[in-house]
Amino acid sequence: MNFAVLWVHNFSLVAVQRSEPALGGRPVALITGEGRKAVVTQASPEALQVTPGLAVPLATARCPGLQLREPDFAAEMEAQQFLLAAAFALSPRVECTARGCCTVDLQGADLARTEAEMHRQILELRQLGLPVRIGAGETPLLARYAAQRAESVLIVRERADFLRPLPIEFAQPTPQQAAVLQGWGIKTLGQLTALPKADVGSRLGPDGVALWERANGEAPAVLKLTMPSRSFAAEWNYEPPVESIEPLLFKLRRFAERITFELRSAGLVAETFSLTLLLEDETEYYRQFRLPEPGANVDSWLRVLQTHLDTVRLSERVAGVRFVAKPARPEQRQDGLFDTGLTDPCSFWENLARLSALVGDDRVGTPVLLDSHAPDAFRLERPAATVPAPELPPVHPPRGGMLRRFRPALPARVICTDAGLVALEGAVRGDIRASLGPHILRGDWWKPGTWAVETWQVELTGGGLYQLTRDAEGWWIDGVLD
Amino acid sequence: MPKPTTIAALRSLVAAWTPAPVARSTDGVATGVPAIDGALGGGLPRGRVTELVSAVPGSGGELVFEALLESTRAARLRVALIDAADGFAPKNHRANLLRHLVWVRARSLPEALGCADVLVRDGNYAVMVLDVRGVPARVLRQQSSGVWHRLRLAAEQNPGAVLVQSAAGFFPAVPWRLVLRTSAHLGELRRTRAERAVALAVEVERGHADTREELAG
Repeated sequence: MNFAVLWVHNFSLVAVQRSEPALGGRPVALITGEGRKAVVTQASPEALQVTPGLAVPLATARCPGLQLREPDFAAEMEAQQFLLAAAFALSPRVECTARGCCTVDLQGADLARTEAEMHRQILELRQLGLPVRIGAGETPLLARYAAQRAESVLIVRERADFLRPLPIEFAQPTPQQAAVLQGWGIKTLGQLTALPKADVGSRLGPDGVALWERANGEAPAVLKLTMPSRSFAAEWNYEPPVESIEPLLFKLRRFAERITFELRSAGLVAETFSLTLLLEDETEYYRQFRLPEPGANVDSWLRVLQTHLDTVRLSERVAGVRFVAKPARPEQRQDGLFDTGLTDPCSFWENLARLSALVGDDRVGTPVLLDSHAPDAFRLERPAATVPAPELPPVHPPRGGMLRRFRPALPARVICTDAGLVALEGAVRGDIRASLGPHILRGDWWKPGTWAVETWQVELTGGGLYQLTRDAEGWWIDGVLD
Repeated sequence: MPKPTTIAALRSLVAAWTPAPVARSTDGVATGVPAIDGALGGGLPRGRVTELVSAVPGSGGELVFEALLESTRAARLRVALIDAADGFAPKNHRANLLRHLVWVRARSLPEALGCADVLVRDGNYAVMVLDVRGVPARVLRQQSSGVWHRLRLAAEQNPGAVLVQSAAGFFPAVPWRLVLRTSAHLGELRRTRAERAVALAVEVERGHADTREELAG
């Protein structure tokens, strides 16, 4: 197989159905023309007895409840982008042949791998509401015939055997040619190609020769190549403008589906994306989002967008939306054998972002000790994606109490005698049975903000160990010792 | 639908409505405290809530947490601590024991529960510790039991272990409740922490070794 064609049957209708999920499972027909001249051009399988070319009044009479729509150019462009992205996943040499049809030059490709990729692309596109079929063969035309005959993927290995039974309509004869061929009793491509090409040419002229060549699956093999998209953007204008979040999210989901698909096909991810809302008064609301973990996951993107949009209040209605993703190469890293990695990085960073939204950025993270003897000296850092292997245990095993702090420390009154600390009063009270201290700490004396504390550890008669500190303002209960 | 007339019928009805817990291995996450690991049959059971009650001040709750940090660090696992009273003191610990920890400093119990609801579903953590010591018992009682029920169900649907540290047993229908009742003396602080952790005495107030097998199905 040298060429492949990705083809969508009733493409315009499928594009409209994708943009209007409410049409799913209902009889739908695309129409063209106005008034009494309007005719059906494409009809869904649910629209029984409605065929292309049927006048609209007749179609509605035959199929009550038939939904009539006009072709939606924007929806078709959106769907075409999916096809192109899938085509570029197969080969860099792609022609955007027609709406709902892309031709791919597969010469030099690893055929086994390409065939597997075709099946993967079909599966993914069908999940996105685009029932694509792929055909492959020696020539672009043969690949197109195969795509039109395929259920999912059809690869033509024997040209003559494949073409022989195909209806003559595949070669697209003109009405005059069709009438002549009908008169000759020719109904299939095989019957036409069984005639000598020169004889057909002498009777039907040069157009007849072209028809014979089409019937034989021959066509120019030169493709008008399309460049892959370098921007990952989408835009939509609402008519009329919208006031609620639902239509925005619906459209953003469509954008996200398409752009993530394009990114994945190109082997990329997004590290940031931006949202621009075009308001009715011709102003713009712009917001850029940095993803917790670069990726191309629709649900992750939408969670970020929805969380933000839930908090946005605008004075004007939204007349349009623009969505742009900034692509990046996926991070490639290999963890050390004894490192602690993440089983699900996406949910890890996403949940951290959610926690930050709940409690604040400065209250979530991995604690890091500061190089200071000041009490409670630490800072919170963003957790590491990979935690290095544990260090060796210390030579001298740690001793002492484990403090559980009261933040802020509780003010206290301590009764002292010559024998030492006797009683504690305050939020915690009791006679002091034993005490350790004072441990005097002082630091930062060489700069403003010097600190000095006197620390005691006490055991109360009724049970319980506490850490007390004394500074210039008095006594404080730091916390419980475990 | 006919109304259930017997307890058995009611149970089967509830079972039909409630999603079955995800089948998982019964291995636990070792805490490094022999008394606790022994009582739990190997460590904190995954997909379950375990409540550890520090009944008196200085009974060893922080000691258990440090042992857990040490044990999970060695096993290359991650730990999340949701600190409802913001009492955790990082300076207690060596820097190496904090690197796999994510600490959430909540300002209130509802905030802590909101965070727990998020983290309990995150499969990156082997253990999620919800520390409600320091939260007044009155505030704990004010919480609807549905909140705890929801947390327990979420824990059962996820692979991590959940440890709730409290000052008085409060978690309804918790499979395991262990109690630390002995307050340390000042003189004991001279011993190494590892020695004190080994010497910790734990009382099993709820749950036993057979419960583990029953829960695993």
